[in-house]
Amino acid sequence: MKEKAPDRFAAYAESLPADKQQQLAAFFDALAAQCRLPKKEAAAMRADFEDALLYYHEQGVPFDEALCRIDTAKLGGFYAHPPVLWFALDNAAKVYPLYMKHGSMAGFRLSVYLKKPVVPVLLQLALAFTVKRFPSFATTLKKGFFWHYLDTAKHRFCAAPENDYPCQPLKVAGSGSLTFRVVYYQNRISIEFFHVLTDGVGGMTFLKVLTAEYLRLLGVDAPDEGCLWNVNTPPAVREVENAFATVPSGENGGGFMEKAAVQLNGRVADRTPCRLLHFRLSATEIKVAAKRYDATVTEYLLGLMFLANKTATDELTGDTSIQVPVDMRRLFPTPTVRNFSMYCGIRVPLESITTLPAAVEEAKRQMAQKASKEVLQEMVTSTKKLVGSLKFIPLAIKTPVAKIVCGLLGDKTCSNVLSNLGVVKMPAAFAEHIDSMDFSLGAVEHNRAECAVVTFGDILTFSVTKMTVDPTFEETMYRLFVDEGLTVRVEGSPLYES
Amino acid sequence: MKVEITYPPVSKRRFQQRKLQKILKWPFWLAAYACPIINLCIGGEAWSVLVLAGLYTLWTMAVSPDLVEYNRISQTVKLTVRACIVLGLLDVLLVSGLAYRVIPIVCFGALVMSGVMFFTDMERQKQNMLPLLWLILFTMIGAAVGLSLWHKDVHWALIVMAAVSVALFIICIITLGGELLREIKRRFHTR
Repeated sequence: MKEKAPDRFAAYAESLPADKQQQLAAFFDALAAQCRLPKKEAAAMRADFEDALLYYHEQGVPFDEALCRIDTAKLGGFYAHPPVLWFALDNAAKVYPLYMKHGSMAGFRLSVYLKKPVVPVLLQLALAFTVKRFPSFATTLKKGFFWHYLDTAKHRFCAAPENDYPCQPLKVAGSGSLTFRVVYYQNRISIEFFHVLTDGVGGMTFLKVLTAEYLRLLGVDAPDEGCLWNVNTPPAVREVENAFATVPSGENGGGFMEKAAVQLNGRVADRTPCRLLHFRLSATEIKVAAKRYDATVTEYLLGLMFLANKTATDELTGDTSIQVPVDMRRLFPTPTVRNFSMYCGIRVPLESITTLPAAVEEAKRQMAQKASKEVLQEMVTSTKKLVGSLKFIPLAIKTPVAKIVCGLLGDKTCSNVLSNLGVVKMPAAFAEHIDSMDFSLGAVEHNRAECAVVTFGDILTFSVTKMTVDPTFEETMYRLFVDEGLTVRVEGSPLYES
Repeated sequence: MKVEITYPPVSKRRFQQRKLQKILKWPFWLAAYACPIINLCIGGEAWSVLVLAGLYTLWTMAVSPDLVEYNRISQTVKLTVRACIVLGLLDVLLVSGLAYRVIPIVCFGALVMSGVMFFTDMERQKQNMLPLLWLILFTMIGAAVGLSLWHKDVHWALIVMAAVSVALFIICIITLGGELLREIKRRFHTR
């Protein structure tokens, strides 16, 4: 397709009147000045712009309007400057490259579902325009002597059709290989991130800007409502800061060590995740349901998950524990798009899980206790102390030790994770074109089901990343949702292991 | 529970390195245990140490390759280091006097190869500078040690290795200049 496009484009360019042809030549001269990439990549980028112009022509968009929408000035010189920036990993990210293995990487996936099928040529350009706003994303993972770090990698960032298993580990080993991927399928745009780069909130900021830029290229315009980053504003230092360093140290350091939790039934599949499921619920309905227990949506979902966990395990004793990531930006405001979340483990003995009201009550009590500012601040203090004490130990020593420690504990300390990104807001004009969003966690080694939640408009999407074929957990969750009187629609991937 | 499928069918079967590791783990462990035991039982020279070094090299190079910075230069350097270790062991355990001649040849070969790979694709390979710098540093130190130890009976390979490493180091300083310092700064950061 890429080889045929120039011919079609040449024919189109020749069909233009002389003044427009001159305008077009000036446009591509400006693009050449903006795009100082290796020859092959510069040619591919030029082809992207040609494809976009052809698309606009076919859609009847006036020539001047088309040139204005894909104005090369919006590249902001990003592809013209040599790559000089580098970023030390934030405190949370430091651990991810230490214990990653072949076929296993801490990651997550964010998707937006549009009301119309995705136009690949425009998504490709939207990505080219968006990346410059997120310099810490245009990076590749490198190995230092003491710590890993992110080194700027400038090339054509590719939006590819989705034809692989979702949430697969990214190949970050090659020269300039990226730590995120953008894929599209029908009306869905998805981004899969390696956690070393960002957390859910940072990832969502990127997805929102990418979606807004894509919609702008489609001709949708929206006034600034303060809920979206301006893609053309230069990046600020605080947006890429290691925010953990800015948190004042607490008096005591909180501990990380927890004892092993009960795991759900079912053999871990050869290929993980073996399925992604998305439960689409009405946000209004679930808020009302949570209100019945005087709980937040997260606490309510925790209560339901505890019941589902009890059903999905044959163990009669032991603790079931759900790890809940907490966005630290709520407690220590910062615009950073790097990792800035801590977690709390909500732990309940299996035998004490009896009814939903009791489970929700316990979740409420523990959330109030463990997600408090003081506790989290102590945890950050511990993280800072740990990082500080390890900083002069060579990576060659840290890596095998981390692998052993994480192999002994790792995700065995919890039964599953519930990560709630909250309500995502977009300017009204853009929101009209968006149907819903979803958020899925990547595969882990021992947990059988990882859960993540995001709300857009009135749709709350509860996603389950399955590591086992055993369907007990999700079927119980479904039954519980229905029993609670909630309207639920289930979407997802096929089962990748029969 | 009815699930509406919203993901595309996956046509290609993805190669799973993890699966390969799972399959090969047992023969590797078997060999790693069996060889020293057999060696101890039948006595003689400690050939099993070489087998273990070989197994380790094979495992880290082919079965479980690097997850970060897997590039031509880093792999050439890694293979060179492993080969030098095996040659050193071979010298100590089985055939003495071999390493003194062969290791410098392997090293200057690796220096030339890495240098060619680096300077023919410098824009891209700048990010892979550190392994080359390590190799240059180690060969320079090795050459200095070798020349001071055997200065009365210097093998030509050692002189060539010393010359190539110093030349490559000077070329790096001239061509990379400030970038070299920047690279060292980021590679050795403790933040």
